[in-house]
Amino acid sequence: MNMRMGSANLFDNTLVKLSSRQAGLADLQEKLSAGKKVLHASDDPAGAAQAERAFTRSTRVQTEQRALGLQRNAVATAESTLGDATAALQTLRDLVISAGNPALSPTNRSSIAQQITGLRDQLFSYANKQDSNGSPLFGGLGSAGAPFTDVVSGVVFNGISGQRASTAVSIPSLMDGQAVWMDVPTGNGVFTVGPGKANTGTAWTDVGQVLNPAAVTGHNYTVSFQVAAGVTTYNVTDTTSATTVATAQPYVNGKAISFDGLSFTAHGVPANGDTVQFAPSTRTDLFNILDSAINSINNATAPGHLITQATTLALTQIDAGMSRIQSARGIAGDLLNRADTIDKNQQSKTQQLAADRSRAEDMDMVKGISDFQNQQTGYDAALKTYAQVQRLSLFNYLG
Amino acid sequence: MNIGVRALLANQSALQTVGNNIANVNTPGYSRQSVVLKSVAGQFTGSGYYGKGVEVATVQRNYSDFLTQQAALSKSIAAGDTARYNNLSQLENIFQGGPDGLGASISNMLNAFSDVSNAPSDMTARSVVLTQADETASRLQAAASQLNDLKLGVTAQLKTDVSAVNNLAVQIASANDQITKALGSGHSPNDLLDQRDQLISQLNHYIQTKSIPADDGSIGLFLSGSQPLVLGTTVSPLKIGTDEFNDPAKSQLMVTVSGVPQNLAAAQLGGGEMVGLLRFQNSDLVEAGNLLGRMALAIGTKMNEQQALGLDLNGNPGTPLFNLKPIPNGYPSSTNALPGTTLSVGVQTSPSSGAPSLVASNYELSFSTITTGSITRLSDGVVTAFDFGVSNPVKIDGLDIQKSAVAATGGDRFLITPFSAAAPSMVTAFSSPRGLAMASPVAARSGAGNAGTLALAGLATRTQPAPPSVTLSFTGPGSYTRSDTGATVYAYTPSQPIEYSTAAPLTGWSLTLKGVPQTGDSYTVQPNAYPTLDAGNAQAMMDLRDLALFDGGPLTDGYASLMASIGTRVQSAKTTMTVSTNIATQIETDRTSVSGVNLDEEAAKLLQFQQAYQAAGKMLQISQSIFDTLMQNLGR
Repeated sequence: MNMRMGSANLFDNTLVKLSSRQAGLADLQEKLSAGKKVLHASDDPAGAAQAERAFTRSTRVQTEQRALGLQRNAVATAESTLGDATAALQTLRDLVISAGNPALSPTNRSSIAQQITGLRDQLFSYANKQDSNGSPLFGGLGSAGAPFTDVVSGVVFNGISGQRASTAVSIPSLMDGQAVWMDVPTGNGVFTVGPGKANTGTAWTDVGQVLNPAAVTGHNYTVSFQVAAGVTTYNVTDTTSATTVATAQPYVNGKAISFDGLSFTAHGVPANGDTVQFAPSTRTDLFNILDSAINSINNATAPGHLITQATTLALTQIDAGMSRIQSARGIAGDLLNRADTIDKNQQSKTQQLAADRSRAEDMDMVKGISDFQNQQTGYDAALKTYAQVQRLSLFNYLG
Repeated sequence: MNIGVRALLANQSALQTVGNNIANVNTPGYSRQSVVLKSVAGQFTGSGYYGKGVEVATVQRNYSDFLTQQAALSKSIAAGDTARYNNLSQLENIFQGGPDGLGASISNMLNAFSDVSNAPSDMTARSVVLTQADETASRLQAAASQLNDLKLGVTAQLKTDVSAVNNLAVQIASANDQITKALGSGHSPNDLLDQRDQLISQLNHYIQTKSIPADDGSIGLFLSGSQPLVLGTTVSPLKIGTDEFNDPAKSQLMVTVSGVPQNLAAAQLGGGEMVGLLRFQNSDLVEAGNLLGRMALAIGTKMNEQQALGLDLNGNPGTPLFNLKPIPNGYPSSTNALPGTTLSVGVQTSPSSGAPSLVASNYELSFSTITTGSITRLSDGVVTAFDFGVSNPVKIDGLDIQKSAVAATGGDRFLITPFSAAAPSMVTAFSSPRGLAMASPVAARSGAGNAGTLALAGLATRTQPAPPSVTLSFTGPGSYTRSDTGATVYAYTPSQPIEYSTAAPLTGWSLTLKGVPQTGDSYTVQPNAYPTLDAGNAQAMMDLRDLALFDGGPLTDGYASLMASIGTRVQSAKTTMTVSTNIATQIETDRTSVSGVNLDEEAAKLLQFQQAYQAAGKMLQISQSIFDTLMQNLGR
């Protein structure tokens, strides 16, 4: 090839090439010192976008983790509060049992009633407990600052009942106060049974039981006793449908009386015309149960058999209330387990995202340094050869 | 003796030319010169022709017309690509990623709602949200103002370039004049030609021209193929103006031919720094502005909409969180018939929000009749027909385009720039944390005796105010009736939203339940009685993170794709620049291989002509000594 090189152009081109090599070295050096292969989006647009997405996701996971921490704290507080409530109810139950002792004097019972009142107030304060951010633990789906208020007619839930579902990254921090505190069945859960108000005898009953669930009608019944010539018999009337279920059955103290799948045991001596009333179970709140138990125990004039009746009923209902609290505690435990699982998932997700981000934009140091060495050698060689080639000139040999 | 003298003189001229070449080795645009020697016609004698020595025919300029033009052209393209790349890399610096980027600020703002969600009454958490929103708005503003700074810089540079081009054009015209006159001498005025070529090369750095030589030795320069810039000694000056729509974002290059300004079509301008700058301003910067503006408009609109669906701490529906400047009216073309209709543009609100459908593009709308015509989306050229007679506003890509009552005329055209106003003016509208509407206006209540496993998975507000309470009574695990529709039985699927009203546009609320109900279970959706401790709307704000807002991608990924799309532009501009610079370098090397001075070659020539000169001197000496010998012999 017959090629002339313009001397000035030769200088210019070599200079341009040298400075571009220098710029390449500087760029690589900048990336090496930052430890990133993608410093500008144009270095690798797809990688930069991936790194940015991974970054956004990981800040989001951090936020979710912080929220989960708060939620877990709230649920853990609720769980331990429910534990305290169970312990308080256990003590309360023992007190009720001791109050049921007919040998106690009204004064003794009154002091027990006072202890029960103290525990009841303690339970009430548990129900209104708040988490560290001032949200009520048992607010359900929304409530006033204190979801429970104690008014003359009883305790009222100022909130919206219901339980929020967990999501993939969060657990509900509030529990349904309605379900925990305000949803206790009366009686044995199916029906209530108790002596009529106008009774004059000493008959009292247990809380009864269901013998055959299929035969249960859900009606109101009245069992009325007739005492004639020292023989006590009873009739059973379905007052809802106004039909007679049984007539003139013999009454034996301590033996069960059964009809329509239900059964109860009456104790004591009924007077003629005394009744036992049946009603389907309804829902009441734990505080109402305690309030009526306190009233009965505190009643100085109540005859012994009515106190026994009241404490038996109270114990059954307290057990029902306790089982509500324990099942809520179970839910709280589940939520805490779920929080642990979410936490583990999120941690591995964070690691995954960090790895993604690193893969997308971090520099492989070994490769980076080796590239740098290569370029440095190249630059060095270019400088040396340039200096040598430029030294060659015919003018050196003239004169 | 005469032969010797002639040879002496000719070689001296040759040495002079070599000296001139060596002196001009670094002169830009200088073309290597060489003397053309020729022998003087011989003298006839009886014994034939005797040569009469040597003489200089002319001084030749070593020059390739083709390579010189190619070099100017390739340099022009390289200059355009370089100017565009340099500006693009500045543009790229505005859109940084990572923890300091705009994307992080947007994602921090939405993440901040998480703390409000966990502590609705905590003023600190609310203040953090407001601060983050403020931060995001000012970051968007800052980015928009940096874009504007770039635009101003480019416009200023274009104006400087225009005056440089006009100045060079005048110089070329005067060189044309001088060359035409000098050619009369019969010899080519080498230095003038070099000078003119150099001027043309300089001009091509700014804008690519086509040179067409005329018979009289002058050169005509034409822009974008056909518009004359220099014709003989006449110059048609360039100027920078606005396009036919008077779009403030764009610049238009015009050439004033005989006093009449003519637009130069951007697509045919070819290369040159000005063309690179114009392309950067009119295409790259507009796209970046649209991407940024869409981000501001879509996020701002969507968050304002969500804010309006909540209740603030005073129990009132939320007022807008961000102040967004209205979208400017369509820019009418200067050729539109007067008085002309006007087009006002807004983000679609009905039947659903237009924010998720926005496409980062400008639109050109042209009427073919008084109501119909077509809209072209300028980013990808998709054409959609419209008819204001059927629907006013016309809906396109989440925008409502409303025509005023004044009639349009067939042929009227408008430019719509939906995203030019949002980012530069975005600010938060209030500063009281109480104003954040974080509570949901509706609440769901589970029935008191619910025995199934129903749990509330989600309750979204569709419209304010909340409709009267509605109770869903479940008649089995898969069916329910509603208190507002009597005995009608609906199918229940867990985790499927239950809408208050399925007629579009959706109103009221949307309830999502999980779990299996038992017969007799119920759920009631009612106006929220406890807004102060509720953060349903904060959760909805957080859910915006996953909303498909940017071309189907989630909100939080919007910035990543913006970065990538600008990065891709920079990357391709860089590649283009590298290629065109390499080509320009190569062609310049080729050109200088013909026209450039090589010092070794000149040194060799120096020796060559020096020897010839010395030999001629020797010849003179010999003829002198012959003459002396003759005289001595005569004197004897």
